[in-house]
Amino acid sequence: MSAARSPLRRIALIAVTAVAVVGGVAACSSTPAANAGSTTLTTQFAGVPISLNPALGGSGGSAIYTSLPYDSLIYQTGDGKLIPDLATAWTLSDANTKLTLTLRSGVTFTDGTTMDAAAVKASLEYFLKAGGGNARYAGPISDISTPDNATVVITYSTAYPDGPYYLSQYWSVGQIIGPKGLADPNSLLTSSDGTGQYSYSAADSVSGSSYGYVKNPNYFNPAAQQFGKVVVKVIGDPSAVSSAATTGQVDFAGVSPTTADTVKAAGLDLVSAPFFTWGLTMADTQGTLAPALANVDVRQAIAMAIDRDALASALGSQYTQANGQIGAEGTDGYISGYGYSYDVDKAKSLMAQGGYPDGFELQVLTENILDPQTTISQAIAGDLGKIGIKVDLVVKNSVPDFIQASLTKQYPAVIWPVVGSNSAQVLTNFIQPGVTNPFGNSDPTLTAAYDAAQSSTDPAAATAAYQNITKAANDAAWFAPVVSTDNVFAVGKNITNVTASALNSNPLPQAPDAQYAWKPSK
Amino acid sequence: MARLIVTRLLLSIVLIVISSIAIFFLMSLVPGDPARTILGANATPDAVARLQDQLGLNQPLLVQYTTWLGGAVRGDLGESVFSGDPVVTLILARVPVTLSLILLSTIVIAALGTGLGLLSAVRGGPVGTFLDAISLVGLALPSYWVAIVLVALFAVAIRIFPATGYTALTDDPGAWLLSLVLPVAALSLGGVTIVAKQMRDSAMDVLARDYIRVLRSTGVRERTIVLKHVLRNAALPSLTVLGLTVVGALTGAVFVENVFVLPGLGTLVTQATTSHDLPVVLGVGVFFTLFVIIVNLIIDVLYGVLNPKVRVQ
Repeated sequence: MSAARSPLRRIALIAVTAVAVVGGVAACSSTPAANAGSTTLTTQFAGVPISLNPALGGSGGSAIYTSLPYDSLIYQTGDGKLIPDLATAWTLSDANTKLTLTLRSGVTFTDGTTMDAAAVKASLEYFLKAGGGNARYAGPISDISTPDNATVVITYSTAYPDGPYYLSQYWSVGQIIGPKGLADPNSLLTSSDGTGQYSYSAADSVSGSSYGYVKNPNYFNPAAQQFGKVVVKVIGDPSAVSSAATTGQVDFAGVSPTTADTVKAAGLDLVSAPFFTWGLTMADTQGTLAPALANVDVRQAIAMAIDRDALASALGSQYTQANGQIGAEGTDGYISGYGYSYDVDKAKSLMAQGGYPDGFELQVLTENILDPQTTISQAIAGDLGKIGIKVDLVVKNSVPDFIQASLTKQYPAVIWPVVGSNSAQVLTNFIQPGVTNPFGNSDPTLTAAYDAAQSSTDPAAATAAYQNITKAANDAAWFAPVVSTDNVFAVGKNITNVTASALNSNPLPQAPDAQYAWKPSK
Repeated sequence: MARLIVTRLLLSIVLIVISSIAIFFLMSLVPGDPARTILGANATPDAVARLQDQLGLNQPLLVQYTTWLGGAVRGDLGESVFSGDPVVTLILARVPVTLSLILLSTIVIAALGTGLGLLSAVRGGPVGTFLDAISLVGLALPSYWVAIVLVALFAVAIRIFPATGYTALTDDPGAWLLSLVLPVAALSLGGVTIVAKQMRDSAMDVLARDYIRVLRSTGVRERTIVLKHVLRNAALPSLTVLGLTVVGALTGAVFVENVFVLPGLGTLVTQATTSHDLPVVLGVGVFFTLFVIIVNLIIDVLYGVLNPKVRVQ
């Protein structure tokens, strides 16, 4: 047998040599965390860009793809404050129907042309007709005029106090595209034509995998440019995100609450802020499919039957808050100590009062992408069983599928999170047609509360109006709020100055003023 | 042999058309559409309808398919409805990643599977039993799970290899190798055990043949018997299994690429499928079909090289 061992030994020797070579390479190469201290910022985002053309791009966190190369007219800081960007000043007048913007001078687009009122008007008009998903946030614009080269006046057909907010970097309405890009919108998919701190670099990108942005040498405020290059890596799998963050492959990442402790144990900082408010939307308030939902007592009973504290605890109370009102804590219109609380006895009493003492069957549409394993949905369904409501959960496996199903008007109730920096913004989810209002419901009380908030010109009066919306929404009980969940971000040791709040829970690296921008650690 | 190659290549055209039809119509059954995905939850029905019109989604399925096929015949697989990139460009940019992964995995599977199988057959006894047990474990573990464990051990706990990402061979060969060690290990484990098991059974069968006894009785060295006679004859069935394993590795690559965030065809087709990017799904589907055809062709050719009887037939 000794002769037979020889080739086998050779195979073993080859295997050992291969391992040694790989090990040697590993020892000689830099570690994965080697980008520490470099001027390249590497961030993570879970999804690919919806489009690199801002007019067709995404909002919220996905705005990173377009906000780096396209400065917005107004900038929202981490604590939610609106500060100048391409517009140095703005005023809302005529009962919130006229927004006058004064533009910054000396700003040029990547294509070399000067940013002026005509260019801004052209960009806004292109946005309105491009048909992107953010178009609704532009507001009821009836006219855009340019009294002079440095002034743009946007006129709304009805009061729109959120106009300046929606011109910030998150909503792409205010991300201004240069004339050359507007002349050839397809060019915006492979190059950028904005005034931002960085320019999109196709050469540094792999479509669908990583997106590279290089410093714009003509940016109007070089002091605010903190990095030489920004790379956005597309990493969707939560465990891969956690691994990439803990090993320093990315400097910033949105992590799942379930992996947050692991990331923190690895020495990274965590930044979190409330984002979603989850709840059961009782869309069929006319009782077309589920007659019981036409009864306000029944809807309120449903809101009272849900044990929010238990669910928040089960989901990880550090990043989940029980919430009995439509807005998350910290948003304008949130009322401390107010809201639905868990009271099964009262809920049963209301069910009896509404004519349904023995409960009824209710079909509820949900999905398992934003609500992994349908944890929240199942908790809601379980709680409703305590008051005799037998829930038939219909689970969709993709968000587009869920949206399409909801819009068919075949489901009397849906479970879907809502967001907004004030309660009026949240309320639009229920009074404007969409996934949480497929039946096109309207209610004079809610509309009046919404209109009052929209026409408030004084901040204190606006807050009072937003709080009125919160109360009116709970009284109507179209939406049974359950919990607010945080956006959680891992911040590597290579960067500082990352902030988030309930008013802005999607931090972005760039800012027109250095004091608000992320910075490399020293 | 030339006739075999030509016949197979002609057959591949038919297979590509059939697979593209299957992909096209299966994708049409998937709920949702790209327009809704692009525009989001609160887009108005008008905006969705306009975009559907722009993307040509309102046309009858047959028209959409024949339009695509007409372009494909000219080498134009269309453009991604999201990025606007030509599908051919997207595929070509990602082929090196997936091919690196598959090729290295094939080498590892062939080398380790053959080596372990032979070792088990020759040694037998406890070694064979041990290898059998290892094979069963290897078969039972999904590559996705293996990948997560490997990352946790060798990228996070002991930071030897990168947890995610890919470095091109042309950029840095050392980093390229490092970036593929864990993905290849995750992808190969199942294949190694299958090939090892097949090789062991085949080698044991050959070792029991009369001509092996004759060779031994005539004083031929055991090393020569194993490497020249046993390996060559036992390799034929293992080659078939290796071919199937390589084709199966395509499926595994989809999962492994997602865990290791490799910018390959697996991640591309995953993203395209979830976002209903039909041109990209079709393009990758055609590429995968072509890949399977080529692998089978190579296996057939190798079979002929190893076995003269097949060449004659």
